[in-house]
Amino acid sequence: MKTILAILFFLVMVSLYIVLYLMNKRTPLPEGCENLKADCEGCHDYSCTNNPAHYRKKETDQ
Amino acid sequence: MNRWKNFKAGLIKDNPVFSLYLGICSTLAITTTVNNAIGMGAAVIMVLILSNVIISCIRKITPDEIRIPVYIVIIASLVTIIQMLIQAFAPSLNDSLGVFIPLIVVNCIILGRAEAFASKNNVLDSAIDGLGMGLGYTLAVVVMSFLRELLATGGCTITNPFNVSQVLFSFSIIPEEYTISMFGSSVGAFVTFAILAAVVALMKNKEADHIALEEKEAKKKEMEAKKAAALEAKKGAKAV
Amino acid sequence: MIRELCTLLVTSVLINNAILNQFLGMCPFMGVSKKRNSALGMGVAVVFVIVVASIVTYALYYLVLVPLHIEYMKLITFILVIASLVQLCEMFIKKTSPSLYKSLGVYLPLITTNCVVLNCCLANISNGYGIAQMLVYSIGTPLGFALVLYIFSSIRERLETSEVPRSFLGNPIALIVAAIMAMAFSGLAGIV
Repeated sequence: MKTILAILFFLVMVSLYIVLYLMNKRTPLPEGCENLKADCEGCHDYSCTNNPAHYRKKETDQ
Repeated sequence: MNRWKNFKAGLIKDNPVFSLYLGICSTLAITTTVNNAIGMGAAVIMVLILSNVIISCIRKITPDEIRIPVYIVIIASLVTIIQMLIQAFAPSLNDSLGVFIPLIVVNCIILGRAEAFASKNNVLDSAIDGLGMGLGYTLAVVVMSFLRELLATGGCTITNPFNVSQVLFSFSIIPEEYTISMFGSSVGAFVTFAILAAVVALMKNKEADHIALEEKEAKKKEMEAKKAAALEAKKGAKAV
Repeated sequence: MIRELCTLLVTSVLINNAILNQFLGMCPFMGVSKKRNSALGMGVAVVFVIVVASIVTYALYYLVLVPLHIEYMKLITFILVIASLVQLCEMFIKKTSPSLYKSLGVYLPLITTNCVVLNCCLANISNGYGIAQMLVYSIGTPLGFALVLYIFSSIRERLETSEVPRSFLGNPIALIVAAIMAMAFSGLAGIV
């Protein structure tokens, strides 16, 4: 029972996160903010949505 | 061959810590003793290999748009598992590494390799990349912790992580009056890291200079050869 | 009680500083410290996210995880809560206040997997803090972070124009600066 609860809770958290991530990604940037970039060349943080990896187009099959 | 090259790059030239500046937080914090460094290195290697393998396995069925959230969830689950294992089998290591085991989740190396390598390559290559990068991290923390422990306590002790009372290896060369306790504190961490990073930068710069020099010479030779060919052609034209 | 809370505040801001003593949040510390303005933006964003994340994770732990006896889900829950919160905040700011987004928006997503946030949420639980202590600790920690980040970025701006040996260019010399700052801050340990 405890395990099932844990798994359910985990699934709820994950789906909440993914839904919020998608909603945020689809919210357009307000006007005048399209080209904002932090000066983060020294930072390799891929979890940051500023990281260009989040806007990578699906590469064509090699 | 290519695989071996990939593997070797992670060790020194593209060392995740001193060259790419990934995962600095844990590096600075846990390098007080060689013991901690080895334990942390092992934990990072395990998480890195497992996450790379899993992410590479599911790379074709992960929706592209939400892949980074998916990676974060996978890595967090893996770290929870590893943390429980360490708590169960090496409790003293768990105490000395403290919060830095759960913080492996936010270690940039792991998510970085998942996104930059494992999401595009097959399972075997990803596992090798994980091992190489993990060993690079381990090498970095072990070297740094060795220097710090040596300077701060005058010697170095390695114990069995599963049974603390069993000392595997121990030596002491600097007499107590000459040890510098500063290297055990945060100041020493920053200084040691800066110096090691500078050494790696020096090596990289030298290599870059060498390559630039070679290119220059090659260009010079090419120019000379061209000149000679032009001269030859002129001579030939005159003779005709 | 008040005295204790004040001690906790001073300790978390100055003595047990997130960057210089606990080495947390080194990524933004090295990455977003080249200009004073971005350091300020990052600092404000961190304070905001940590306070909100601490309250939410604290409530979730004691209201959901403990009654259900699934405390071992702590780590994974917290990271998901922090990540979701950051997305929510970003979306909220995008929709409601473009001017605020202009000054803070870039720094919010950087915090998703910032160790300071996760560590603060975990420490609230593992130190067994009550609600008041939790609030003080989760305000003090990011304040200390922001303070050091701002001082560091001011020094780094001057560093840009100074002559540095080639091997130390960039991050190594910045780490030396951090070492000197850590030395200065360690002198404050006598306050409490």
